[in-house]
This record gives sequence, structure tokens and C-alpha cells, in this order.
Amino acid sequence: MANLKEIKRKIKSVQNTQKTTRAMKLVSTAKLKRAEMAAKQSRVYAIKINEVLSEIAYKINQYKNGAVESRFFDKDETPKIVDVIFVTADKGLCGGFNIQTIKAVRKLLSEYADQKITVRLHAVGRKGIAFFNFQGIELHTSYAGVSSSPSYEKAQEIVQKAIQDFIDKKTDKVILVHNGYKNMISQELKVVDVVPVDSPLEVLETNSLMELEPDESGEEILDSLLQKYFEYNMYYALIDSLAAEHSARMQAMENATNNAKERVNVLTLAYNKARQESITTELIEIISGVESMK
Amino acid sequence: MNTLKLEIVTPEGQIFSNDVKSVTLPGKEGEFGVLPNHASLVTLLQAGVIDIELKDGNHDIVAINWGHSKVDENSVTVLADGAVSIGGSTESEVAKSLEAAKALLKSISDSDVAIAIATAKMESFAKTRKF
Repeated sequence: MANLKEIKRKIKSVQNTQKTTRAMKLVSTAKLKRAEMAAKQSRVYAIKINEVLSEIAYKINQYKNGAVESRFFDKDETPKIVDVIFVTADKGLCGGFNIQTIKAVRKLLSEYADQKITVRLHAVGRKGIAFFNFQGIELHTSYAGVSSSPSYEKAQEIVQKAIQDFIDKKTDKVILVHNGYKNMISQELKVVDVVPVDSPLEVLETNSLMELEPDESGEEILDSLLQKYFEYNMYYALIDSLAAEHSARMQAMENATNNAKERVNVLTLAYNKARQESITTELIEIISGVESMK
Repeated sequence: MNTLKLEIVTPEGQIFSNDVKSVTLPGKEGEFGVLPNHASLVTLLQAGVIDIELKDGNHDIVAINWGHSKVDENSVTVLADGAVSIGGSTESEVAKSLEAAKALLKSISDSDVAIAIATAKMESFAKTRKF
């Protein structure tokens, strides 16, 4: 009888887990929709800023008859110090989502270590911070609690230092790593070299009549725009990563719910078998008792 | 009637996109107005207020904290960090958006004069708006 009770308790426990995972899946589905919307809305900005950037780059090219003299375009073939900013989730229970990002970062680390390049890590998200702290790898800066509610201001805060260091020539390259949203069921790891900007930018030749106002401010505008471009990239990484996190969690929870269902089936079968067995034993006992009384 | 297409976009979404009669922008070197068939130009904007004259003659205003604008003959594109459109169909909605716009300006601009000018403009706009 003790066995029966035990199995029953197990079934209950698995059913409870199933309830939790199902609820988490629903929550993620709802949040995913919101995150997707945010990503979609901000894409308009991306298109516009790219347009304007390439036009200005082209314009300055014309003035100067040559290369744009901005550190943002200055592609250094042999970087000495590289900033790596990576985004993970604040929470777990989302399958291999965080590990994929971490793996990519570690790969970068070992590659640059081979080339004797110093890497400074900037971690966003508790999971990534926890992992590298546990491994004893030093993080230059870390930001927790941003991944779950990204905003443009927070993104600015994160990259401000990185931009300044880049302009001050303390770093030669900045790489942004995050696990991005591909579709409802899959994520895509994105490793982007934010600065220096991949030059030449796709140059539009149409608006060659455009004037800069005031005339000599081309580089100033370009620099400030490139900073915005950088900030935007960071912001986009955050919201893209959030969408991906929710899609990963949705999937993980879906699997967990299915597994729980399977477990319940197996356990129910075992329960019924045990019940039948105990009834049979009881019957045999009764019958043999009656027999012995005769 | 001549119109130009105005788009105001922030990283968090599009704030305004419509055909308008004219628009006044807070340029870095001073305020400037744009009418249809304006010469193409690119300039930085400072924290302030964008005054939009809609097709029906009514005005809309949008507060921005930093920006960059590209003017073409028949279109104006404004890229801003943060933008709050002041409007709404009821008085309380207007008041609410006004507060949000003030907070936005205060958070970024270090020049008190710019804030004062923008705030005065927004307030006079909110007061004269008819419902």
C-alpha cells in the first residue's frame, strides 16, 4: 500500500510541475509578442539612420576627395585591445539560450588570446555574469537587470564608456555578441563588429545636392550620428535578445510540459499495475483464509 | 496644395508620419522652418520643440531631446533619441503628455534657456488648443 501512495504523490508532483511549465510557456508567448513588436518598431529607425549615415559619408567623401577621417571608419587590421559586449538573459529556464552566447564569447576569448590581443569583457545579464564569475574570468563591467526590461536609456548607459574609450583610442575594436530572434522556434547567434564601421558604407549617389548645415559640420554630424548608431545597435541587441529569450523559453517550456505529460502517463500505468497487484494479493489472502477455515 | 512628408522616428518607434504643410525645427544653430520644396540639407537638432502645421491648418507639437534632421525637397526625416508628442483629445491627456515632454527635456538638456523656451512654447500650445 505504501508503494501506491508513493506513486500517487509522484503523479501529483509531476502534474504540478506541468502546470508551472505550461503557465510559463503562456507568459513567454505573451511577452514574446510584445518584444517582437518593439523590435519591429525600432527597425524603422535602423533603416533611417543607415540611410542618413551613408549619405553623409558620401558627402564628406566628396568634400575631402578621399577617406573619411573618422576613427569610426578607421579599420585597424591589428587591434590591440578589443571590447566584447555580450548580452545574456537575467533568468534561466530557457534551454540552451544563454550557453550559446557564452560559448561564442569563450571562442572569441580563446581566438584573441592566441593572437595576444587583450579582450575586455562587458557583460549584460545575470546569467552571463554568474558564469564568468564562477569561471574566475574577469569582467570589465557588468550590468544586471537590464535584459529583462530594456530601454534606450539603459542601452546608452552601457555603451557610453565603450564609445568614449574607443574615441580616446583606449580600445581598437568593439564586438557585440547576442543571441537574436529568428522566428518563433529558433534563435540565431549574432556576432557584430560595431566599430569600426564596415566601410565603405553602401553609398547612395542620388542626393548629391544635399547641403550640410552649417557647412563645416560634416564630421561633427557624422561622429554624433555614429555614436547614435552604436547606441542603437546596443539597444537593438537588447530587445532582439529579449525576444529570442522568450522564444527560447517558450520552446523549452513546451518541451517540459510534454515531458511532464509523458511522465504522468508512465506513472499512472505503474500506479494502476500496483493497484491491480494489491487487489490480487488481497483476494488471494481472503480466499486462502476461507479455504483454511473449512 | 503643396505638402511635405514628415517622419519623426526614435529607436522605440515612429512618433509621427504624415503629410504636413510646414514644420519648424529646433536646429543647433537656431530654429528654422521648412516649407515644401526646401533645399536639401542635413543638420543636428538640439533639445526643443518641433512645431508641425498639419494639412487642415491645425498645429501639432512634438518635444525632442536630441535629434538629427534630413530635409529633402518633399520630405523631412527627424531621428531623435526620445520624442513626446503633445496632444490628445481631452484636456487631461494634453496635460499628461505635457508633463512627459517636460520630464524628457529636463533629463537631457543642460541649457536652462533651451528648456525654458521649449517649456513656454509647449505650455502656450496646450493652453490655446481647442477641444
